[in-house]
Amino acid sequence: MKSSEVGKDVDAFYTSSSENDISIYIHIPFCERKCSYCAFVSFCLSYAEREEYINFLLDEIENFSTTKKVKTIYLGGGTPSLLIKDEIFAIFKKLREKFNIDENAEITIEVNPNSVDEEKLKVYKEVGINRISVGVQSLSNKTLKSIGRLHTKKEAIDKLKLIGKYFDNISADLILGLSGEKSVTRYAKKLIKLKVKHISSYMLEVHENTKLFSEVRDKKYRPLDEKGVAKSYERLAKFLSKHNFNQYEVSNFALAGYESKHNLNYWSYGEYIGFGISAHSFLSHKRIANANSLQGYYIRKQKEEKITKDMEIEERIMLGLRCFAGVDISILNNLGYDIQKNENYKRFLNEGEIIEENGKFYLLPKYYKFADYYILNLFP
Amino acid sequence: MKINNKRNFCIIAHIDHGKSTLADRLIEMSGTVAKRDMQSQILDSMDLEREKGITIKLAPTRLIYEYKDQEYELNLIDTPGHVDFTYEVSRSLAACEGALLLVDASQGVEAQTLANTYLALDNNLEIIPIINKIDLPSARIDEVKKEIKEVIGLDAENCPCISAKEGLNIEAVFKAIIEQIPAPSGDENEKLKCLIFDSHYDNFKGAICLIRVFDGSVKKGDKILMMQTQKVFEVTEVGIFVPTTKECDILKAGDVGYLAGSIKTISDVKVGDTITNADNPISEPLPGYKEVQPVVFCGIFPVDGAKYGELKDALDKLKLNDASLQFSPENSTALGYGFRCGFLGLLHLEIITERLEREFNLDIITTAPSVSYNVYKTNGDCLEISNPSNLPPAVEIARIEEPVVRVNIFTPPDYVGSIMELCQDKRGIYRNMIYLDKRRVELQYHLPLGEIIYDFFDSLKSRTHGYASFDYEFDGFEASDLVRVDILLNGEKCDALSMIVHKDKAYSRGRELTERLKKIIPRQLFEVPIQACIGNKIIARETISTMRKDVLAKCYGGDITRKRKLLEKQKEGKKRMRKIGSVEIPSEAFMSILKLGDDEK
Repeated sequence: MKSSEVGKDVDAFYTSSSENDISIYIHIPFCERKCSYCAFVSFCLSYAEREEYINFLLDEIENFSTTKKVKTIYLGGGTPSLLIKDEIFAIFKKLREKFNIDENAEITIEVNPNSVDEEKLKVYKEVGINRISVGVQSLSNKTLKSIGRLHTKKEAIDKLKLIGKYFDNISADLILGLSGEKSVTRYAKKLIKLKVKHISSYMLEVHENTKLFSEVRDKKYRPLDEKGVAKSYERLAKFLSKHNFNQYEVSNFALAGYESKHNLNYWSYGEYIGFGISAHSFLSHKRIANANSLQGYYIRKQKEEKITKDMEIEERIMLGLRCFAGVDISILNNLGYDIQKNENYKRFLNEGEIIEENGKFYLLPKYYKFADYYILNLFP
Repeated sequence: MKINNKRNFCIIAHIDHGKSTLADRLIEMSGTVAKRDMQSQILDSMDLEREKGITIKLAPTRLIYEYKDQEYELNLIDTPGHVDFTYEVSRSLAACEGALLLVDASQGVEAQTLANTYLALDNNLEIIPIINKIDLPSARIDEVKKEIKEVIGLDAENCPCISAKEGLNIEAVFKAIIEQIPAPSGDENEKLKCLIFDSHYDNFKGAICLIRVFDGSVKKGDKILMMQTQKVFEVTEVGIFVPTTKECDILKAGDVGYLAGSIKTISDVKVGDTITNADNPISEPLPGYKEVQPVVFCGIFPVDGAKYGELKDALDKLKLNDASLQFSPENSTALGYGFRCGFLGLLHLEIITERLEREFNLDIITTAPSVSYNVYKTNGDCLEISNPSNLPPAVEIARIEEPVVRVNIFTPPDYVGSIMELCQDKRGIYRNMIYLDKRRVELQYHLPLGEIIYDFFDSLKSRTHGYASFDYEFDGFEASDLVRVDILLNGEKCDALSMIVHKDKAYSRGRELTERLKKIIPRQLFEVPIQACIGNKIIARETISTMRKDVLAKCYGGDITRKRKLLEKQKEGKKRMRKIGSVEIPSEAFMSILKLGDDEK
């Protein structure tokens, strides 16, 4: 497989993006119940607490200004589908007041099958949301229950059908490595049938301070072993490739034209603003992180890191090698790193594991599962 | 001050019997250091010493104490208590007239109590027993007095019984020092005769000699002669320790202090050497000088090959403080350019490697320790081999001799069986067993040194829950049936992992090492066989299976920093990796030979 055969729209995205473009991420930390594996910042909040949060969020947006053109907006969580009608309206009203939003902007909201309904879908449509990312995770009731998800297989399928009535650009998440799930291709098959255009499949990570961590420690939960995860990952990639899904990043597969432009912006070193608790921004070579606690967020606590040339070299390799964007050789050169002189680079090129094309180098998708190995070996 | 009002003394004790605490208390009670400047264990100047709670470097200090309306100048020389540093102890003992023998009131006489006492007797010192930690509920003062009498042969009936920690009865210690230790007997009008008992390097003043003046006097501007090296220097500064350095006009017979002389070359200062006046020298140096012989060897390599020069400079600097450290350049196919270093023992090795990392900020890889073997070849040549990979092919070897030691182990009787089993397993030969009293047995064994440095100390500690102590003395070389076990990684020999072992143990050690390496070496993108062999004969094999995946799946929500930091951490780890052929192995692997046998415990 050559890089030029797939990801044409990805390339189009890059050539069209410019320094005047920006993305926006908004974090909605609401949850009905915390899933056992979840290490993201999310809480089960009362109505009053939610209102307080939304007010601070609106205030944060109000106090930011840029003349750049907004190309993508992404509402992630937590569970953004818990937002009620008025909250959605308020957020988008504020966004449109403050920012110059491209008329073709990709606007995504993450939803959970149990909390999304027809009324909310209509609201999404009304405010300009055009992409829905559904937290399916699995289509086995047993599995869903074991990780603390609130929906069932039937609910997921019904909601996907419903979403399909209103939206064309639908993405679904699947988790790899869950107990007993040696293959998830049957779920992928079902998702394709339900007209899902994009699949994100993340390998289960067991983080400290999660319920899952203690369950695994106490041997109450047994995730797939490394070999099993690797196999299910390969199977899924193979299956999706057969169905014309391009693996345009380690964990992301899409039909042509349905790649997530928002994520591509992260990986191609574009700028972005993050609003909300624990959200991250990347602006003028600074990475800024909002506080992880409500308390810290409400006093606008932030961590800021200036990205030096050395860091940028590492980041560009790390991000570019994981996806079809690849890494621009001349940019590395300008940063002072002549990668073509690197012995490992020559070796990987020679072995056909990475390919060089149009001034960029790429890792072939079949080696994505070892991406960190290649990244580390290509660091200066 | 008159020579009759001076006393030079040291404290000797088994490790942890409270030596540094007593030193602190003496300093504090003599008013030498203001209480607000007191830092616990003030003489242990290195971080490392404070952390390990042991004294490595000698740090003398001058105390002024008033007794019966007279002022006395008491020079305290603190000494290391560990078996590795016997020569350091002997040098400081040679600078004194008396020694305080500190014994823990609950532990009683231990292996090093005895070893250090013998050293003090060799140096004709007046020995004052002191029983410490009498505040402990487990103190058994009368029994310990009896032990001192029976085991060491010193009368402890009226000895000071103190608690250094609580400051109890410290006056009795001062009284004993002044009344029982003889004043120095030198003559300041004689020709200059002083002993270098330690040295360290100062970036501004050059090498600093810590000296004890026996006869004559020395001051700034004097021309001095180092009798062993025959080098002449002009004295630029003399001074005393309070306990930091303080310049003074002159050092006279009986004094302990320091001397600097723009001495730039490290090797010109030999600890144990005698200094005299260059224009008016004495004819005979002080007795007792010897070149210290290292007994444990290992390779030290920079993680980053480009830092070879820095490593050399650091070793040069450490050697100035530490006459016993030896090193010479070495080249390994696995580890590149580095040094073969010789040490007095395992603790010494550990201290040096930690200091290289901490004080000189060097990342180093150390190979497993080895002893030095005498290898007699069929053509009549004899080689000293301390690096297993230099062992000639088996057909060229007539015989190999290994160093052996006499070991004294002090233990409660309950553990005798277990210790005998351990010594047996380490190829030991039983010599004697003495029941000292109800709670203490002395076991004497004859053991190969190579087995002692392997994991003897750890095994002894775990088998006796830390209740046994041991001490050893070099006892020559003996022929033994030894072979070299090599390790092949993916078919390539890794020279830094070769070991010399007794033939009867080759199979089990080979198996243990391959098993351990399998645990330490991360999986690679291909299968890696690990083999142990003697010559061409494979004696053990393990296989590291292929890595299945190496990717952090999630790169979510724009948190790029977290992921970059994770990779940077891995990159640091990777720097510590070495390549054997195409296999990457972490630096800990090279020390893993030492850890063999750990799993059984």
